[in-house]
Amino acid sequence: MKQIFVVGTSHHTAPLDCRERVSFSEHQFTDAYRFLREMRQIGEAVILSTCNRVEIYAATNNKDGCASLFDFLSDFHQIDPRQLGQFTYSYQNFDSVRHLFNVVTSLDSMVVGETQILGQVKAAYDQSLCAGASGDILKRLFTKAIRVGKRVRTETNIGAGAVSISFVAVQLAKRIFQSLEDKTVVIIGAGEMSELTAQHLVENGVSKVIVANRTYEHAVKIAEKFSGTPLTYDADLNFLVDADIVITSTNASHHLIHRQALVEIMRKRKHRYMFLIDIAVPRDIDPEVAGVENAFLYNIDDLEAVVASNLKERGQEAEIAAQIVETEAVKFHSELQASDINAIVKALHQKFQQITSRELDICLDKAELSPKQEKIVESMIHSITKKLLHQPTTHLRQVALDSDSLEMANDINDDYVPYVSALQELFALEPADDTDV
Amino acid sequence: MDIIFLLTLLIYLAASIFHVFFLTTGDRKVHRFAYWATIGGFALHSIFLVLRWLRQGEFPMAYWYDSASFFAWAIILTYLCIAHLTRLRTVGSFVVPAAFIANLIAYTLPKGNAAISPALQNYWLITHSTFIFLAYAAFVAAFGIGLMYLIEEKRIRDKKHTPLYNLLPALGRSDRICQKCIVVGVILMTIGIVIGILWTRNIQEVKWTWVDPKVIFTVATWLIYVFQLSIRQIFGWRGRKTAYSAIIGFGAVLFTYAGVNLFLPSIHAF
Repeated sequence: MKQIFVVGTSHHTAPLDCRERVSFSEHQFTDAYRFLREMRQIGEAVILSTCNRVEIYAATNNKDGCASLFDFLSDFHQIDPRQLGQFTYSYQNFDSVRHLFNVVTSLDSMVVGETQILGQVKAAYDQSLCAGASGDILKRLFTKAIRVGKRVRTETNIGAGAVSISFVAVQLAKRIFQSLEDKTVVIIGAGEMSELTAQHLVENGVSKVIVANRTYEHAVKIAEKFSGTPLTYDADLNFLVDADIVITSTNASHHLIHRQALVEIMRKRKHRYMFLIDIAVPRDIDPEVAGVENAFLYNIDDLEAVVASNLKERGQEAEIAAQIVETEAVKFHSELQASDINAIVKALHQKFQQITSRELDICLDKAELSPKQEKIVESMIHSITKKLLHQPTTHLRQVALDSDSLEMANDINDDYVPYVSALQELFALEPADDTDV
Repeated sequence: MDIIFLLTLLIYLAASIFHVFFLTTGDRKVHRFAYWATIGGFALHSIFLVLRWLRQGEFPMAYWYDSASFFAWAIILTYLCIAHLTRLRTVGSFVVPAAFIANLIAYTLPKGNAAISPALQNYWLITHSTFIFLAYAAFVAAFGIGLMYLIEEKRIRDKKHTPLYNLLPALGRSDRICQKCIVVGVILMTIGIVIGILWTRNIQEVKWTWVDPKVIFTVATWLIYVFQLSIRQIFGWRGRKTAYSAIIGFGAVLFTYAGVNLFLPSIHAF
């Protein structure tokens, strides 16, 4: 009977340089999956490798699945097992299911609520499918995980508010303009934050970037990154007439944009909306500007306050998400249990039927019975098989049920597992395909 | 008949409550329910109007009761059009309650079956009043969207980020839609007024006069909106100023529709 294992390392347990050593690059996957297939102890496998985590999920009959996965990691990347052991973690069965659900819903991510991980899990699963490394169990597990990931996205606001300054700026711009297409952004000054913000604005549709700097060469250098237009900064600010979004981040010790100047600019641009983002300290834009009609001013503190409140909001949503994960994990695990048991029961019945029908054929050949008598013998044999198997089957289901009830207390136990293994061993059973009996 | 009307009223009440509830929770299911309730109420309301028309044998426009009910119907129609054309459904939270109130007022008013003077009872009446009420409804929608604009603008200025976050449309969008409502309203109202003028030319009993208070205030209301449109065209005034004019214009509409008759005698029953 297959159990689920996961061995991995993530930003929780390992610094970047350790994660780098165990990560799988694009061209390593084929080798890695071949390597895994050749290891007899591992049946099915999915390798999830992102910048924040490297995890291998496996479903195998081997009871020491975790050890095998660990060996694989250390062998494949040629890392000293002792060293590797310091920054990996491992889970099995219910815990591994719950772990995957936590990962896919971004509850385990560095930034809770980030949206990339769902796609990354999906990609990892597809890769494993292509490599032929996913079997029935992992197919079910990952299909379910992706569904849980989507459910958390739709039922909670876990990813709603932006949690970085530049994304908050983009969201605010969208609250003002709706669409950023055909909008113009002007960057005054230079700096990582202003460039990052401009970058995100461009990714969200802003079509024109103008970079104004006191030194023309600097302007040219920054403008190149966005294929924008460089300008020499000019104190009369005429270049703002066409600006829908203005980002300032200069080292100037005084305000560059004053209220009166902006009022004049707004008149010239027929009062079309302008969003001003001042990320300079000390500020580049006179706070009085906030009162100008159709001009909206946010400074670095305002943006950070939004980030803080969004983070708080995400924390609350994460609690709801955690509940969803818990219920879904319990549900999935009991379904898996049920199908394990169904599979073994089915195999047991088949085995008995095989034996009895073979013996029956021999017996019927020898004894010359009338059709009616044959019928009677046949039904007697079936009835004996049924009655013999009734007790063990019910008992097995009962054990599984008992462990089900323990799940309610979040204490998953797999009491039925030894029974299933024993049956398999005693009767030399190969579990048939698991669904319905 | 009364049962149908009461039922319509109750459905509008439920739709209003769910629309407002939607604003506070942001639950799309709530909105879907509110939206379909509105559609259901509108269908029932339409049936009611048709039945009343058939029963009276003439366009029901003789009483305040009829006009208020028709006003409510026009508001809902406008909302459904906006929701359909712009997918801006939050507007329901502001506009459907207005329709409910109009219908509630209608419900409390006496509803006789007396006919309008036969001289007035013709297609002129139907088209004149229909255009005027559709224009009013467009102005109600502009008013609702103007409110949405002002709330969202205040939230952005105050740097508040409460759960309404994603529900209200971007400023640029509500400004544009509000403006469109006003343009449509002005066009409908112009047609309605022109029909009204032609109508009086065609009948002898009523003497056309510019000094009828209803006429004066209607033209004044019309001028408010036309003024706003011209200023916007020339100076690019938008945003808060558009929202304010939608609100002032709405005040004028209310006074023209209901206020004038309370204070001044007029040839218009309403």
